Amino acid sequence: MKRTDIAIIGGGPAGLCASIAAAKMGAKVTLIERNSTLGGQLVKQTHMFFGSQKQYASTRGIDICKILDNEVNKYDNIEVLTNTTVLGMYEDGVITLDCNGSYKKMLPSRIIVATGASEKYLPFANNDLPGIYGAGAVQTLMNVYGVKPADSVVMVGAGNIGLIVSYQLMQAGVSVNAIIDAAPSIGGYLVHASKVARLGVPILTSTTVKSAHGKEYITGITTVKLDDKWQEIEGSESYLPCDNLCISVGLSPLAELLWQIGCEMKYVPTLGGFVPTRDNHLKTSIDSVYVAGDVAGIEEASSAMVEGSIAGLCASRSIGLTMTDYDKVLADYIEQSNSLRRGPVGDKIRQGLAQVEIGGQTK
Amino acid sequence: MIQKDGIATQEMIDSITPSAERRSKGPVAVVECFQSIPCNPCYTSCPRKAMKELIDINDMPQVNTDICNGCGVCISHCPGLAIFVIDETYGDNQCLIKMPYEFTPLPSEGDYVTATDRGGKPVCRGKVVKVVNTPMQDRTPIIHLVVPKEFSMIVRSLNINDIYDDNTYICRCEELTLGELREYIRKGYTTLDEIKRITRAGMGPCQGRTCRQLIMNEIAKLTGVKPQDQLMSTFRPPVKPVKLGFYAQEDTDNE
Repeated sequence: MKRTDIAIIGGGPAGLCASIAAAKMGAKVTLIERNSTLGGQLVKQTHMFFGSQKQYASTRGIDICKILDNEVNKYDNIEVLTNTTVLGMYEDGVITLDCNGSYKKMLPSRIIVATGASEKYLPFANNDLPGIYGAGAVQTLMNVYGVKPADSVVMVGAGNIGLIVSYQLMQAGVSVNAIIDAAPSIGGYLVHASKVARLGVPILTSTTVKSAHGKEYITGITTVKLDDKWQEIEGSESYLPCDNLCISVGLSPLAELLWQIGCEMKYVPTLGGFVPTRDNHLKTSIDSVYVAGDVAGIEEASSAMVEGSIAGLCASRSIGLTMTDYDKVLADYIEQSNSLRRGPVGDKIRQGLAQVEIGGQTK
Repeated sequence: MIQKDGIATQEMIDSITPSAERRSKGPVAVVECFQSIPCNPCYTSCPRKAMKELIDINDMPQVNTDICNGCGVCISHCPGLAIFVIDETYGDNQCLIKMPYEFTPLPSEGDYVTATDRGGKPVCRGKVVKVVNTPMQDRTPIIHLVVPKEFSMIVRSLNINDIYDDNTYICRCEELTLGELREYIRKGYTTLDEIKRITRAGMGPCQGRTCRQLIMNEIAKLTGVKPQDQLMSTFRPPVKPVKLGFYAQEDTDNE
């Protein structure tokens, strides 16, 4: 059985930053990624990031991916296992892996779970027709594989992902017939909404998909308006043609491993569903298990990166490692994390986090 | 309402419109960011410190229009692509709008495009006078678009297709489209008469009253020869189409 100081599960923005922070502290890090390359969702994020310079604001996700990947490669004490999926986490701290088809066991001193999230789905008639995709899949087809996924799309969901993927579809030469959202107002950043609005894409709020149509594949959908109690308004149905329906209605934390090992979980809708309780060092109810990124609550990638750094530092500190200015560096990350959530768009995140934080503002 | 359709209201636009006095002095940045979000590259990228310091990263951007010289560095740094530069001193009745444009194909200098508003609706024809696309812009090219001055705070995007697309009719009598006309001009038919002879445009019922000016303008656009310098076609009777038999009549009025 392999031993390591810190196993980091997930090579997205949170896991990459956690690995770098832990490696700086001198920890022996094993970074485990189920895909063949590191980066998680960054590999297809061709848009510029928000935030400040410390979180690579104005830099495109694909470029942040390269920066973090290069940084990881600088450390001899980071071992990267790609094509490797963690199958289970057990009470004795052992994790089991499918490593390129071979079964492996590992006993890390600390585990940082940074598994990210999966896309939510919607129930409606004929939702199994070919041509109905999650927005993430469409973004992968376009931006990773260079495949034009459709000719005309209706996007369901006006959150940041729905708005950004709509814009990128337009960049790929796909027409976006409409962006619909059941909520009465746009969930994503308004600047993203304005970006697609000025390309002539109608954004229809209080509108949802009632059914999809088509025989071999989708050819259109029926939409319906919703009243202020989210009930369908009779007679408000309308037809929208499309050969691709893109579903972007939010993300759910990928928390199965945390459930397996017995972390305390709480249901917090504003964080995306069940999330682990944790202290402000990202330590869960189990001393050896830390979390970072979307698995701990759905947020922007900038927050995921900062959380990764905090978890990497604190997990390393808990096994007796340290570095110059440790306290100062940690305090800076915690301040970055707070400042990203301080504004009105962070209201729901702050309220959600208040429900899952163990011990309030511990040191 | 912007929360419902992504389009800023007139009230919001008014709140960020530089004063008429400032606009009359030259280029200035217009930041169309109407929501407090954690983001600050507009402030950090400004070489002149014309953006009010964002003490909290969630503060809203504010341009000091006395310091801003409209250089446009912030345009490509804004992750929300929400910054534009307007210059109402560009020409007597024209203004220049610098806008981010992340689509291919990029328009070329000299191209006419359809200038659109915040909802993507066509406003007017615009002329691309410059395309700035260096490593500094990091794949967010900046288009310099010239439109009539009254649209400086209205035009915010462009459609690379000219407001007159290839299927637009130039001569309805003889069914000549703009696309066909452009093709002939590119082939070397660069005078009104040459176009008339190859396409019959001008030989129909209206005798060129619809198409003549349009053809001359298009020749001017593609060859650079202004209408006043082009060869005018030869005018011969009759000024309207008449049947041959008409001329076979004898004028019996022998005064």
